[in-house]
Amino acid sequence: MPKKINMKTAAGSVIYPTLFGAAVIISWQTGFLHKLLKTDEYVLPYPTKILHIMHENSDKIMLNVQASVKVALLGLLLGSLIGYFIAIIATVFPKYGSGGLTIVSAFNAIPIVALAPVFINWTKDVSEEAEVRSMVAKVLVVTVTSMAAMSVNAYRGLTELPPFSDDLMKTYAAGKVTEFFKLCLPNSLPYIFTALRVSVPGSVIGALVSEYFAEYIIGVGRQIRENILIAQYATAWAYIITACIIGIAMYIVLMIVETIALRKRK
Amino acid sequence: MKKIKRILTSKIFVTLIWIVALIVVWELFAFHVEQTKRTPENIQPHLSGIVDSLTSSRKINGSQTALQMVMENAKATLSRAGIGYIIGIAAGSVLALFMSLSGVIEKLAFPYLMLIQLIPILGMAPIINAITGDIAKSRIIIAAILTFYPVAANTLAGFKAVQKEKYELMYSYAANKFQLYTKTMIPACIPYFFTGLKISAPMAITASILVDTLQGGIGLGCLLSQSLKGAMTRYVFWDIVFFSAVIGILSFYLMGVLETILCPYKRIGKKE
Repeated sequence: MPKKINMKTAAGSVIYPTLFGAAVIISWQTGFLHKLLKTDEYVLPYPTKILHIMHENSDKIMLNVQASVKVALLGLLLGSLIGYFIAIIATVFPKYGSGGLTIVSAFNAIPIVALAPVFINWTKDVSEEAEVRSMVAKVLVVTVTSMAAMSVNAYRGLTELPPFSDDLMKTYAAGKVTEFFKLCLPNSLPYIFTALRVSVPGSVIGALVSEYFAEYIIGVGRQIRENILIAQYATAWAYIITACIIGIAMYIVLMIVETIALRKRK
Repeated sequence: MKKIKRILTSKIFVTLIWIVALIVVWELFAFHVEQTKRTPENIQPHLSGIVDSLTSSRKINGSQTALQMVMENAKATLSRAGIGYIIGIAAGSVLALFMSLSGVIEKLAFPYLMLIQLIPILGMAPIINAITGDIAKSRIIIAAILTFYPVAANTLAGFKAVQKEKYELMYSYAANKFQLYTKTMIPACIPYFFTGLKISAPMAITASILVDTLQGGIGLGCLLSQSLKGAMTRYVFWDIVFFSAVIGILSFYLMGVLETILCPYKRIGKKE
């Protein structure tokens, strides 16, 4: 790869998408998009109106954002820790461990829609308060969805070592524990980020969808649905835009953390 | 002795042991719930109860047994998921092809392709339902959008992964663009294409079931929420949970089987 970045292509990769995005927003604002989708400005309000509503309800939106982000992050943390732990066990006991990994990745194929009500059933006794109960159930759904990506990727990171590094550790007379902390663990770091790139957007989706089924009405996802039920489409759109911002913001944070964490490797 | 050892360590046996372990844990919980709760089937029924509800010939809503009901609704949900899935595959792979053919299109679409992945599309399900005004259509659209991204991104990665030497060889053969794609690029990206299919198959089904829950009518998700509200026996809910879990997992493996059938590289790879 040549080091010098071609200025023309670099500028192109910024200009073209920006133009496209601007074209979409303009056609939305001028009503052309409504004709295209055969809908009216009631169901699909103009961008300026959505922004206005977001500004007006910013306190309420923030409250729901906090609830959703809390669920997504807690579930992501728990799921990733459990997933990594499963990967470690699978590395220590390869025979039965990798079979367990097959099962965990099968969990990933279970629709969230089926998981959410089950977890809500199971957590009925966790707390007297509906808010806490629902919170636990939602966090568990996100945990399960982010567990699979982490365990499969971390297992690869722990086992696919650079050639001969294993032998090098043996010539150092390093014990199993030393080898694990000095070789396997650092080796799995990039794989952890591979997993997070899948599970960070996944955790937002998991949080929003599990809100649909939760007892306690809070969260960005639930607000989208509730507002549509009472035909407040503009407010619903405000929450949709918020949900998109949450998803993008969390990914950007991940990218920044990844760049810092993997800085020394390049 | 050796034979027994080989069976004990075979992959199928290990998976089987895990499944048995899961069943045991489930049943232990079910016994616990049975002793402490008044309505155990609401929290966790025995597996035998779930199987019973599927095989019994008792009519639930006057005309259908639980199995017939689940199957009828599954047909509606899965057929929509399937149509959306196919549309998504077609759109995704065509876009990947165009992106690989033209630098302008790639630059134009790539950032948005990334964005689609980050936006919680499932959260937008209610509004898409409101725009189309038709639950069947919105199921197809959302399944298609969710399928679209993994297929497009993976196929594009496949086009990019073609080794430089292969290009140079085709160039030395004086191959034109059409030959280059049909002989080199498209065959090379097939494994990546199937990775996209495997990722998106369960997603398309999830999407379809979720959209069902938004509105009355026919569909697994609709039946699921009715059962949760107590309109019919709670076992229907469990039937659907297990059915959708099994279908989700099967759809993933089905794509793997399809790949083995359609692609010679898989079969040759296995024999060696």
